[in-house]
Amino acid sequence: MIPVSLPRWLGASGLFCLLATSPAAAQVAEVAIERALARELELSVGDTVRLGTAPDSMDRRAVVAAVYEPRPDPAEIAKRERHLRMHLPDLAALLGVPDQVDRLGVGLHPGVSADSAAAALNRTAFGFRAYPSSAIAAESSQTFLVVSRFHRAIAVITIVASAVFLLCIMLLKVEERRMDAAVMRFVGVRRRTIFGALLLEAALVAAVGSAAGTGLAFLAGAATNAYYRRFFDTALTFSQITPQIVLFSVLLSLALGLAAGGLASWRLVRTRPMVLWGRG
Amino acid sequence: MSEAGPVLLATALLKDYPMNGETVHALRGVSLRVHRGDYVAIAGPSGSGKSTLLQLIGGIDTPSSGSVEILGTRLESLKDRELTRLRLTRLGFIFQRFHLLPVLTARENVELPMAEAGLGGAERRARARELLAYVGLGGRADHRATQLSGGEMQRVAIARALANRPAVLLADEPTGELDAATGQEILDLFRRLNADGTTLVVVTHDQRLAAEAGRVIHMLDGRILGD
Amino acid sequence: MNGLGWGVKSLARHPLRTALSLAGIAVAAAMLLDMVMLSGGIEKSFSEMLLTRGYQVRMTPKGTLPFDSEATISGASRLVIALRSEPGVEAAGAVLGTSLYGRASDSLVTLFGYGIEPQAQALYQLTAGRDLARDDTSGILLSEPAAGLLRAGVGDTVTLVGRLDPQIAEAAIGRKLLVRGQVRWLYDYRGQPSVGTLLPVMQRLARQSSEDRASVLMVKVRDDALVAVVAERLRQRFPQLEVNSVADLVVHFKQRLVYFRQLSYILGSMSLIVAVLLVATLLTITVNERLGEIATLRAIGVSRATIVRQVLAEGAALTFAGATLGILLGLGTARYLDAILTSFPGLPAAFSFFVPRADTLTFAALVLLITGSLAGLYPAWLAARAPVAATLRAEAT
Repeated sequence: MIPVSLPRWLGASGLFCLLATSPAAAQVAEVAIERALARELELSVGDTVRLGTAPDSMDRRAVVAAVYEPRPDPAEIAKRERHLRMHLPDLAALLGVPDQVDRLGVGLHPGVSADSAAAALNRTAFGFRAYPSSAIAAESSQTFLVVSRFHRAIAVITIVASAVFLLCIMLLKVEERRMDAAVMRFVGVRRRTIFGALLLEAALVAAVGSAAGTGLAFLAGAATNAYYRRFFDTALTFSQITPQIVLFSVLLSLALGLAAGGLASWRLVRTRPMVLWGRG
Repeated sequence: MSEAGPVLLATALLKDYPMNGETVHALRGVSLRVHRGDYVAIAGPSGSGKSTLLQLIGGIDTPSSGSVEILGTRLESLKDRELTRLRLTRLGFIFQRFHLLPVLTARENVELPMAEAGLGGAERRARARELLAYVGLGGRADHRATQLSGGEMQRVAIARALANRPAVLLADEPTGELDAATGQEILDLFRRLNADGTTLVVVTHDQRLAAEAGRVIHMLDGRILGD
Repeated sequence: MNGLGWGVKSLARHPLRTALSLAGIAVAAAMLLDMVMLSGGIEKSFSEMLLTRGYQVRMTPKGTLPFDSEATISGASRLVIALRSEPGVEAAGAVLGTSLYGRASDSLVTLFGYGIEPQAQALYQLTAGRDLARDDTSGILLSEPAAGLLRAGVGDTVTLVGRLDPQIAEAAIGRKLLVRGQVRWLYDYRGQPSVGTLLPVMQRLARQSSEDRASVLMVKVRDDALVAVVAERLRQRFPQLEVNSVADLVVHFKQRLVYFRQLSYILGSMSLIVAVLLVATLLTITVNERLGEIATLRAIGVSRATIVRQVLAEGAALTFAGATLGILLGLGTARYLDAILTSFPGLPAAFSFFVPRADTLTFAALVLLITGSLAGLYPAWLAARAPVAATLRAEAT
């Protein structure tokens, strides 16, 4: 026996119990059950189940008419709820609330504004409230807006950490070239030439690092998607790397790499060659 | 250790090392005996093997063949830890480029080998001050190495080398980085050290320094030409 | 210390380099601290919130969690009497949660109503006025947002309207009630306008009185150590109900927020890796720069162990300073991140994702210090293995 619920957007919702049982009798309701539920209860089309509002009142029989794959819904994945679908009268009868629904869907003629229709309904109606679909969508996406803000905040911290890391590495990388720079100065190479060479090296390192980082990000994204899709048994995409994200990341790391390399190179070429050589 | 025996005995030292795919014969059978109180200068042109010889008798490097004894102890029989301890307590090193730790003060640089040897804080501070006074830097004890002149740095390095009362002081081109006047100060200090009983083995290009030594060993191509 | 702090003092030789490394470690440490707080804070905060009033067990309709659906339990009074007679049970009470309306001037405002038993409640804390008496059928408790919406305070009268029936186009049930007190409902989201009356009053307003319905039954077990035993006994005695101890609910909650927990592990690990890489890179480069010094120290008789200790101490000092800065930074960013996450719709206002605690701070600092110090192992190994003679020869040129 397993508690199941019907999604509210079907019009009516309820929570009740389902028990796989023996072959069907006549005049039974039809249900469509989601794939995960069918797998867990080892049910297939044609099987009969018993339904009830409580474990001790499983007195309704229903036949599995279909097994369906629910539309991936990020709001539902962590809940691990199982759903089935049935005809509204059958559900109303099961719940003992005939002719009662949670919500009604209203289709408007072309050109009619949903906002004004909802406002008109709210002015005249009693006992319910009308919302344009866009308002419901905005309300139900609040959770994801919060998650999105959280991700952005984490991204800012990550960018700061990466920037500092990059600055540090570039500084160290350039400082490794002290002796080379000293020798070049000894043999008469101009500061500008040395600066250019060091900057070019920093740019190359930043470019190769960005390319490697992009590849790593795609691998990490694929691994994240594979893991969470398996973990939550869903087709949702968890990590999406868009061209804009790649462009932003590459440009940022190139800019930071060049700035850090430039700063470190500038410090290096301003130092006297004998000091670079360690005898200053 | 026998009082009459040599402080340092090197026998038939050979040292080969690879360089750019070829074998360099740095030492080709060098033997040397140094007694307590000796002041030995090893002279010779660059590449003659004098620094290599100093590293072998100082236990910094190991010979390809031959043996080195310090106060009767054969270095090749020692484990790395024992050899390190011997360098710490029986030998004192002075380098051409001083090699002081720039982040430490003059006193701390002198204290370092004593701290490593396990001397207590008060004792080593007192000895460091005494040694710095001996080398003429009593007033510069709390200056960082980077705040000292070349001559001062070398004198701190000499004080550091003397910290654990070594049996032999080994110096590699100690005046090589100094001007003539400052170099002379170091020569004077070496003379005073030797007069006070310190055994000195000095590798040098400096004719004045060689002239100061009681014994001069001339080297060429990894061999001793004259002693 | 044998090396007279040579390693740690060396950090001052390159101030810019050290400052950048410290900044990097500080940001990584801040992130690590935040993620440690996030991974443990969720369940701790949730558990503490549930145990505010000491009720350790919740009973709900089969297959549901408290206030997670509109499903209700029938025969609540009978069940509560049965629960109170259970051995080990100190108190039990029923709660009905329902949406209803309140009249404010000439308009109706939507409210959330709690039907409670004041003598056994785990839902609120009184902030002004007084509590309901157990037979006070004309009194009501308001949350601050509800008081604002209804423009009522302690001593005022408010009108509640139960379910509206569109068929007859009028409020089926309305009731005037006297505001006895203002309360903070423990599980309300920020700004939630909630009111509380005695259970029978709310049941009538919600038209749930005929079957004596409640949303959740709350049970206080006399001895914390017996909670699991009592919960299991209740499961067997009331198979039609879902019986969850606070520990069980924490497990359910953790499952729902598994994403944040896993994210915290991933980001925490990445922060550690960044810190370790920074320390290791910096020390490796500085060791390579100081090979001459290290060879000199080895030549004058300083042991490999002393060299290794100095390099490790340098790494530990860098990590310690970075971690100290990072903890301060982390506490600041945690407040910011918490403000974002606690704006989740429907999340109880009392809930926090990032809870600063001594054990969390200590754990994050220790993990960072240990791994940061270990990051010095490779450069320390390099330093210990530096060839003395060859390095001195190279230095002399």
